[in-house]
Amino acid sequence: MAKTFLLEIIASDRVFFTGQCESLIFPGMDGEHGILANHERTVTCIDAGELKYKIDGEWFYAAVSDGYAEVSGDHVVIIADTVEKPEEIDVKRAEEAKIRAEERLRQKQSIMEYYHTQVALNKAMNRLKVNQRHLK
Amino acid sequence: MANMREIRNRIKGIQDIMKITNAMYLISSSKLKKARKTLLATEPYFVKLQETIHDILFYAPHMHEIFFERREEIPEEDRKIGYLVITADKGLAGSYNHNVIKAAENEMAKHSSKNTMLFVVGQVGRQYFLRKGVTVDCEFLYTAQNPTMYRAREISETILQLFQTRQLDDVYLIYTKMVTPIKSEPVCTKILPLERRKFERRKAGALHAKFEPSPEVVMDRLVPNYLKGLIFGCMVESFSSEQNDRMIAMEAATKSAKEMLHDLDLMYNRARQGAITQEITEVAAGAKALKKQKKS
Repeated sequence: MAKTFLLEIIASDRVFFTGQCESLIFPGMDGEHGILANHERTVTCIDAGELKYKIDGEWFYAAVSDGYAEVSGDHVVIIADTVEKPEEIDVKRAEEAKIRAEERLRQKQSIMEYYHTQVALNKAMNRLKVNQRHLK
Repeated sequence: MANMREIRNRIKGIQDIMKITNAMYLISSSKLKKARKTLLATEPYFVKLQETIHDILFYAPHMHEIFFERREEIPEEDRKIGYLVITADKGLAGSYNHNVIKAAENEMAKHSSKNTMLFVVGQVGRQYFLRKGVTVDCEFLYTAQNPTMYRAREISETILQLFQTRQLDDVYLIYTKMVTPIKSEPVCTKILPLERRKFERRKAGALHAKFEPSPEVVMDRLVPNYLKGLIFGCMVESFSSEQNDRMIAMEAATKSAKEMLHDLDLMYNRARQGAITQEITEVAAGAKALKKQKKS
């Protein structure tokens, strides 16, 4: 069996996952990051996207939003605003959020508002993507 | 001895108030249940967030980041200090608001600077400080009820923006921490600038961690995220303490109302008995007088 490390995924409203895992891939700011056991001590940010981790040869998937990761040898902590399994995603809500955000993008907004809308749109599209990929 | 009607009015008044306190007790206990649930769910996040930021700052290499600027060149009395105070929207929560406000005032008294700016969450604290004539940010209007990530993000953005544009030099956060389910106490922590723990690391001989893609970029994203999480956690904890304090206060009020009613009941019965005895004596005396008149 492959070498494992302790993975902790913590969302703002619950502990999503804690346990030993063989491999982890999460969306970083400049592309995806893959982590195996005994990784160099690293701190990096997480963008909204798809996160996956491997336990006993089986991959598990989740949709994450903004957060950060702290990697230190045999211990990885991921802290994000929300983490959801594909089957937990409310497709209707995500679709509504996407439409809302797209509509807002057409309006004139301040820079701050523009960023907020973009983040909202990103989150909604990511949710839909993860849901579609793993449930159909 | 007070007369019967007065006592009866008093009893009625107390009964009416007791109805209100009892209802408030029930409401706050059901709200508390909800608040506790969110608190329990958020606690691991809150704890881990502080742990990791502690670690990250420990391993962070030297960098020029605005979040670390201590601005030591500014003398103590010119520093612009911001306080984020989390109070309740409504009173009648025992000493909850009083404690937070007092903690904020103590903290303000510690610094000789006159350039203080208050950011108050919740109406009670806001009104109090406005009456006191302390500078309160007027556009900073947030409710303390049912904290959300969204609200926490807006608050942290406002504060970060002021810090980055040098309108604030130090920022403190004052909130109520739930120590045990029956005990809560106000806590004050400094949130900006972040303290770098360079010297401790050197002593421990630990190496820098790798920051990807670069320390500056990571910090630019990480600090707002951290602040947002921190403020959210504090709001959740304060809200839970508020409901808890209100529940305890209302329970005590209901209990003392019951005691008062008991005492007044005794007093009322005594007064009634007194009145009856007096009436009987009067009737008896009257009858006796009549009898005497007939005889003579």
